[in-house]
Amino acid sequence: MSDVFSPRERLIRVLNKEKVERPPVICPGGMMNAAIVDVMKATGHELPAAHHDDKLMSELAYDVNELTGFENFGIPFCMTVEAEVLGSEINYGTLECEPKIQKEVFPNAASVVFKAPREFDRNNRVNAILNTIHTLSAKYPDTPTIGSLTGPISTAASIVDPMTFLKQLRKDKENSHKLMDYVTDCLIHFAGRMVESGAHVISIADPTATGEILGPKAFEEYAVRYLNQLVDAIHGMGVPAIIHICGKMEAVKPLVAQFHSNALSVDAFVSLRDIMNQFPQVTSMGNLSTVLLEFGEPEKVSNNAEVLLRNQINILAPACGLSTSTPIQNIQAFTQTVKASKPL
Amino acid sequence: MSEPKEELYQKMSDAIVDMDEDLVVELSEQAVNEGIDAFEAIDQGLTKGMERAGQLFEEEEYFVPELLMCADAMNVGIDILKPHIKVEAGKEKKKAVIGVIEGDTHDIGKNLVKLMMETGGFDLIDLGRDIPAAEFVARAKTEKAELICISTLMTTTMDAIADVITILKEQGIREQFKVLVGGGPISSSFASKIGADGYARNAAEAARLAIELMR
Repeated sequence: MSDVFSPRERLIRVLNKEKVERPPVICPGGMMNAAIVDVMKATGHELPAAHHDDKLMSELAYDVNELTGFENFGIPFCMTVEAEVLGSEINYGTLECEPKIQKEVFPNAASVVFKAPREFDRNNRVNAILNTIHTLSAKYPDTPTIGSLTGPISTAASIVDPMTFLKQLRKDKENSHKLMDYVTDCLIHFAGRMVESGAHVISIADPTATGEILGPKAFEEYAVRYLNQLVDAIHGMGVPAIIHICGKMEAVKPLVAQFHSNALSVDAFVSLRDIMNQFPQVTSMGNLSTVLLEFGEPEKVSNNAEVLLRNQINILAPACGLSTSTPIQNIQAFTQTVKASKPL
Repeated sequence: MSEPKEELYQKMSDAIVDMDEDLVVELSEQAVNEGIDAFEAIDQGLTKGMERAGQLFEEEEYFVPELLMCADAMNVGIDILKPHIKVEAGKEKKKAVIGVIEGDTHDIGKNLVKLMMETGGFDLIDLGRDIPAAEFVARAKTEKAELICISTLMTTTMDAIADVITILKEQGIREQFKVLVGGGPISSSFASKIGADGYARNAAEAARLAIELMR
């Protein structure tokens, strides 16, 4: 069966709540990076070098799209570049291990030294990311290029000691909101540069902003508010936005309806069917277990993908960050099952 | 005539649950001035309050910010009372090493487990985050710990947790330690698959389980 829509048209249509013949299957990059070891070993375009070099980054993003079957490019391959620009020390990791924050630069919210958002433009890795987005979106206009951002809470907790940061959300609201405003402004600037460079969609993952960690009050006061501020600004640039929330959601479930994003992506143990029943306005994304993708058999992966298809999840994707040691056969089983699915 | 000390302990416990640092300071100083046994005040007042906070955390009344503020309140109280502990109470503390496995730098969960286990009477050696499997084993040996607690928030790093147990087996010392695992992607079935002694869903459960494992 030949496809009715190009992958880009299909994704954009779903994000605009328009009909498609089948759901897209994507992996947006950033926290959900699909540059797995199997892909890098097959092509020789490897991390961590590709975090710094736009040519390598473009090649690796193309390899991921080719070999995994995910119907998008997802840039960057990490969630540390925002914190790097804002001053934290980064460990770029290895082929198998993703980059991580070595040390948060500030002890508390009050001590944060605010930089101008244009500092992003001077960072080499930011420029590698923007050049990659530019190259891929110009060369492959039918494939959606997704620019991935680390969400406001996670970015803030990557530049301020996370334990102090979390306490201060209650104890020092004034400085916490100042910090969140600053971080959100910086992310808006970065998103703007991604869109100027050609990104078709912006995806935001905010793994520290879970209901389990924050609880409903702080989730509403900080996560919902600043994620929406960011999403509204992205909409102002004429581009759709996806939000991914990690963890269990019982404590914050009524709040998911408040997100302004075009799609909501959730973790494996959240029932997307329940969310869709409760909030029919939500465009659902997810949520194939990454544990299954790493340790399961292709057949089991395929069966689980069928379940998601039957439940009419709008966009199929891994439920969380993929392990870099995920076997490529399992990802292919996932993407092929979706692509072979009968029209709805 | 001052109030019965039980009432003071109850007030201390309540002040911890209410995250009221100033009141904890006041009550702890009152305990010192009245010559109340400092160890008992920590044990019956402050620790009790922290245990109740842990309970509220399990019940999803409190979340991470609240639990951390309760801990801050407890710590200011301990700072005031500790210098007045007469003799180190006879109870020998069990030692545990705790850390986040290599590849993961998320340590909020680990810090909470540490907090609740200390409240539960353990002596915790905090290895930090992004710790290689071999280092868990090496430090557990040199510290003469009885318990190894390993956490991760990422699917990416689950294999490395199994490595800790493999290394223990290779060195023929698996039986010397209890291994407790936890964190976002981990389940009790994963824990039993890799041969861990226990799995806990949250910090309060980890502390309870650790106490059970040491019996």
